[in-house]
Amino acid sequence: MVRRAHMACDCALKSAIEPMRKGKRLMHLLPQKSFALPLAALVLALSVGARGGDVPDRWWAPGEGRVLPAVLDYDNANGTLRMLAVGGPLKTAGHPFFEPLGKDGRACVTCHQPSDAMSLSVDSVRRQWDRTNGKDPLFAAYDGSNCPTLPQDKRESHSLLLDRGLIRIERPWPAKSFNGNPVKPDFTIEVVRDPNGCNSGPTYGPEAGKISVYRRPRPVANMKYLLAVGFPFDPKQGYALPLDPEDGKPQSGNLMADNRAGSLRIQMEDAATTHLQMLKALSPAERKQLQDFELRVYTAMQVSKTGGAVDSGGAVAGPARLRDSEPGALGSIGEPVWSEFKGWEKIPADEAAKLTPEQLAMRQSIARGARVFREKMFLITDSAGINSRVGFGNPVRNSCVFCHNMSQMGNDVAPGQVDLGTTTLPFADPWDDLPLFRVTCTGRPHPHYGKVIYTYDPGFALTSGKCADVGKITLQSLRGLSARAPYFSNGLAKDLRGVVDYYERRYSIGYTEQEKQDLINLMGVL
Amino acid sequence: MKRLALLVALCTATTAQAAQDTAGLVRYVACPVYRDTDAGRKSGCWLADDRETGKRWDVTESPYKPDWNFAVLVEGRPSANTAQPCGAPALDPVRTSRLDIPCTRHMIPAEGFPGRRYTLPRRNIAPLSVARPVPPGPYAERVFPVYFEFDKDFLVYQYDDWLIDNAVTWIRAAKPKKLVVTGFAATVPEKVSGLELAERPEAAQERAETIAETMRRLVPGLKIETKWEVAAKPTDEPDADGLPWQSQRRAEMRAVF
Repeated sequence: MVRRAHMACDCALKSAIEPMRKGKRLMHLLPQKSFALPLAALVLALSVGARGGDVPDRWWAPGEGRVLPAVLDYDNANGTLRMLAVGGPLKTAGHPFFEPLGKDGRACVTCHQPSDAMSLSVDSVRRQWDRTNGKDPLFAAYDGSNCPTLPQDKRESHSLLLDRGLIRIERPWPAKSFNGNPVKPDFTIEVVRDPNGCNSGPTYGPEAGKISVYRRPRPVANMKYLLAVGFPFDPKQGYALPLDPEDGKPQSGNLMADNRAGSLRIQMEDAATTHLQMLKALSPAERKQLQDFELRVYTAMQVSKTGGAVDSGGAVAGPARLRDSEPGALGSIGEPVWSEFKGWEKIPADEAAKLTPEQLAMRQSIARGARVFREKMFLITDSAGINSRVGFGNPVRNSCVFCHNMSQMGNDVAPGQVDLGTTTLPFADPWDDLPLFRVTCTGRPHPHYGKVIYTYDPGFALTSGKCADVGKITLQSLRGLSARAPYFSNGLAKDLRGVVDYYERRYSIGYTEQEKQDLINLMGVL
Repeated sequence: MKRLALLVALCTATTAQAAQDTAGLVRYVACPVYRDTDAGRKSGCWLADDRETGKRWDVTESPYKPDWNFAVLVEGRPSANTAQPCGAPALDPVRTSRLDIPCTRHMIPAEGFPGRRYTLPRRNIAPLSVARPVPPGPYAERVFPVYFEFDKDFLVYQYDDWLIDNAVTWIRAAKPKKLVVTGFAATVPEKVSGLELAERPEAAQERAETIAETMRRLVPGLKIETKWEVAAKPTDEPDADGLPWQSQRRAEMRAVF
């Protein structure tokens, strides 16, 4: 641990000192205000890359050959996001995560940007469009446009990526296998509306054996938590967890929105052949490098713009905590979710006196937000994966941590396929730029939607082939949210307020304005 | 020898009597009513009215809780505990099975009733990080039952997972030659609340295959055979909680050496 910290400090210091030698102001690299940081945290806060001057641009382009420092900070509207690379700096030259591997010139980093918590914010997408006049490999016809058949030089052909941060995902139809078992779907699917042309015609759509859905890139960081297995069963599916065919270990089921990849290997192979348009398979050495890298990266907010460092004044949050904690713990029987901020619940008077009124108020609000997240009960209704088929009942009274239950991360300890309604009518917002599918259950009706379902994205059902899984999307980590708007798998919420508002609409929770703001402030520093 | 024969006869008689004795039990179909009590997480109450007797029962303690959009088959025994935190006498043990019969959803307010503060049920499994104690030998042929909702093959959370986890711990230690999984379905029709209820014969096979698939994942390499039987008879296995109908809806894992 000490060794790791030293390595991180060395790198951060070196990176910070370099601009000084070039005559840049060191203060520019520091947080805007003094937050009484411990010395170690202060040293760690020095970083590169994000703050102008001669430092590299915040966009990591494929094949640049930069060195990824052990500690890397990026500012955003709510403060500073920190990424930690365990094991020290990484030379990205020749590394398959950072090099273009396929014909479209993209690398993994294109859609998994360090400044965006290893996901991709719509702000970064727009910035890159403007910087390159739409020529960046991010806007590749295959999935960086609404459909490859559209004129690629027009902005409107990339509107889903530019407006909602959505990448086209092409899924085979009918679904053929899940977890190694053959699948015969118990539903049919028809296209009601195809505004982008990628679900109809001779090449695309269910009749051509392909379904196009549009989703946000998921963060490639804090991976040990997403791979962690807490219990041997998947209570939502009613089976023991499936086993990884390679190592025989149970799979967490928490990697991808539709759970189509149970392991990093399957995920990276899927991404290489689709998003990277790689013509040959990843080599064993490349897979090993990718896996090694993905398991080394931790990212989370380190500094709240108003409240200060999230590991100061009694709070113990931030990426180092993520790096050093055991993954897979259920908050309800161990360390409560977001209890990292407990130290800010009751700030002693002498500590409070050292803070500005704004700092104090923000810290108190974040701590309240953590309580609201855990303790504000509401009735969860008609949500498959919660109200069916697990047996909790419909409705069931609980709070956000019912599903966001893993300590430190807020993803689901069990495989997290749940239907919040974000992609399915009548709960999803009416969007005319997304395809709409009509799903008809041929066996048992869906437990909540009935026989016929209208959805923008059937989600997990495209993997499992089960009508009961239509609309289920895997819960994801809540870390680094400030760096990667918009939210939900289809970008339904443009900001954190939109997330809270969606839940309020969906479940009639009855949050007060104060509770909403406290939740927003909490989510802004995760 | 005589003594052994008498003991066997006694046991058989007791088993048959226990398995078929439905005195004091209630079984009916109803649309569930959700009482919105708030004593923290999972504290809402489930009530169901028996139309024939006019009694309202608290069925909240069922391991598989109702869906307010569908009728439930209620099976249970009136609880010895006379407390009524949900505003009705409780059935405990109790099972509710969701039926494909639509209901008008109905929620009533707490009306001063506190509901029950959630406590972990007796049958809950420890995280994988907690080592399971190795069951002591000697090991010999043994049967592990698992129970289901009416006409379903879905593993019931905090019931079946616990039963299977215990079985797996024993099987890993005992290392049997093979596992014979037999699914049962209660296919003989019975009249309940004016409805003729019978499980589909396919439910027996589905249960066998669900358990077999789960066991293949939990004990890779174990040889597993599947069988199924219809017209299931009740048993008096303790984990059916003395509810004969629950005991019929089962799968059995027989560890063979």
